[in-house]
Amino acid sequence: MSEFQRQHPVAAISAALGLIRGNLIPIILFLFVGTQREEFPFVWWIAGGFGFLLILGTLNWWRFLYRIEDGELQIKRGLFVRKNLYLTKDRIQVIDITSGVIQRMFGLVKLDIQTAGSTSREASIEAITMEKATEINRILRETAIESDQPETTEAGMPEEEKKIFELPAKELLIAASTSGSFGIALSILATLFSQIEPIISESELFEYLFGLLPSQTDFLLILSVIIVFVVFAWLLSFFSTLFSYGNFRLEVKEKELVISRGIFEKKRLTVPYNRIQAVHVAEGMIRQPLGYASVHLESAGYGDDRGTGSIVLFPLVHRTEILNLLDDVLPDYKKKHEGIKPPKRAARRYMIRSAFLITATTALLYYILSLNNWIWIIPALSVYWGWLKYKDTAAAWSDDIMLLRSRAFSRTTAYIKKNRVQDISYSQSWIQRYRGLCTVQVHVASGDQGKSFAVRDLEQQDGFLLIREIKGEADIYEEFSGLTEPEQLIPLPGWP
Amino acid sequence: MKQTPFHKLTPRAIRVWQLGNAVGNLFFFGIPAVYAAIFGMEGFHFWVVSVTSGIIFTLWVLSIVLFPYLSWKNWRYAVDEKEIDLKRGVIVKTRTLIPLSRVQHVDTRQGPLLRWYNLASVTISTAATTHEIPALDAQIADRVRNQISTYARLAEEDV
Repeated sequence: MSEFQRQHPVAAISAALGLIRGNLIPIILFLFVGTQREEFPFVWWIAGGFGFLLILGTLNWWRFLYRIEDGELQIKRGLFVRKNLYLTKDRIQVIDITSGVIQRMFGLVKLDIQTAGSTSREASIEAITMEKATEINRILRETAIESDQPETTEAGMPEEEKKIFELPAKELLIAASTSGSFGIALSILATLFSQIEPIISESELFEYLFGLLPSQTDFLLILSVIIVFVVFAWLLSFFSTLFSYGNFRLEVKEKELVISRGIFEKKRLTVPYNRIQAVHVAEGMIRQPLGYASVHLESAGYGDDRGTGSIVLFPLVHRTEILNLLDDVLPDYKKKHEGIKPPKRAARRYMIRSAFLITATTALLYYILSLNNWIWIIPALSVYWGWLKYKDTAAAWSDDIMLLRSRAFSRTTAYIKKNRVQDISYSQSWIQRYRGLCTVQVHVASGDQGKSFAVRDLEQQDGFLLIREIKGEADIYEEFSGLTEPEQLIPLPGWP
Repeated sequence: MKQTPFHKLTPRAIRVWQLGNAVGNLFFFGIPAVYAAIFGMEGFHFWVVSVTSGIIFTLWVLSIVLFPYLSWKNWRYAVDEKEIDLKRGVIVKTRTLIPLSRVQHVDTRQGPLLRWYNLASVTISTAATTHEIPALDAQIADRVRNQISTYARLAEEDV
């Protein structure tokens, strides 16, 4: 394998499709602008556009060369700017073999290579045969494992022990119907609607539909439009979750976790334990009352396509099962702690912070649009939301774990390995200084970027306690000494 | 009990920030200018333009006369063998601790303005975040950078 070679030509098609997926909104816009002109038929626009992308894809395929030399994967790519990627075996963290719809149609696979750096997303081979993929995997893997731990991975060893978790159909359906991507779906729909709106508002269909509705006030009209939107958004998020988390499977191996999921497009992720920075459990606003939550991982160096390292460890799990699952996946994390809460006097700040903007906006709209009085439910709910945030904020620590719990919309409980903390900040606004409160924020590595977890309005000296925990063996200076242990302790995380 | 070995930034930082703000914040006068260009200066619009201009002018003056000084006064940094401790902020006071074992790389930077005053900033990157100690004397910045990189090498662990 020392000669540079090209991928399978199918890579050209998948590159073209990738371009479409990456530029969906400009393409839709372009189509709408383009099709306003009568003399040029719609089909030609689509055919021409796809042809153009196919040419781009083919050029991409032509200019993409790879080879393996001395256990090093070398990739040359780029149309105008040539990029040479050299990935040495000991920097490669994980090699994933996956297959999308296109690849499976031609019996091919995709090879993803994960390194600690940000270049790893460029180092994926879109379409090659299974034999080549396994050969590359074998060459890069065996050397990598050798340098890792030479003694234990000899041939003839018994199959390594592993546990497998799958998502039952009932849970999958619940996950899909309470999916958090609901909001995203709503915004996609709104964008689409704003594009389509000028066309349908002229059409007879639209008038016909409005004729069907009973004579109503503007309020009812708006309400019915909103309801239709919400239903569509819900359907969209239902099916997208169903397709992406169908066939979910979590394998707990000796050294790594393997997560595979997807009905049409199969995704497979391998996460070595030593890359895990933190785990967080998210209990969404709809899921929490039903007793369900999702579990996520933060991993350093890689994650999903968008460069964030948050990985779904398990899409839906009942609160009674969370601790069991975590025990199986991360046995070395201490799960139960005694924790601290923000003091009572902080509650007011939480409520004001949540309600202030919403109330001001509502008042303004109420005044300008002379809205119905029922609109005041929204500010009332936002005060309640602030109260929930206050109630759910908590922090705890033990020898090597820090637990931070807070709420934005979902209640997030994060378990962070103390020695994985990249930095810790303690901040006080002037009101907080006056009230003797503080905010503590922790960053962990996640993908190419970081992810932060914060608890707000803790008692000033509790903030110092948290910082002292992260300091570890570092010198304890005057301001961090002589701190008293916190008084009111609550049991965390509160799951049975 | 030992005090945290905090250092201040060089007082020349104030001058650099003053100059930077004086030029950089001129941009904000564009807001009322654009508004006036679109809506004109008649009646109600006149008041909008003059009030925003007034506010922006006041802030512009403060950003030269007062803010750089306050910012300098509140900035502290400390580097020891285990961690970097940064303290800053006027209205929101923030203190950040970075364990040295987490530091991935550290470099000094010098824009044209900083070079004119023989200053440099030190940038500290971890796997998650980037922090900056702005406007140190160039020699001190080099020393701090070398110090951090030496300590970081000693404190090396895997990410």
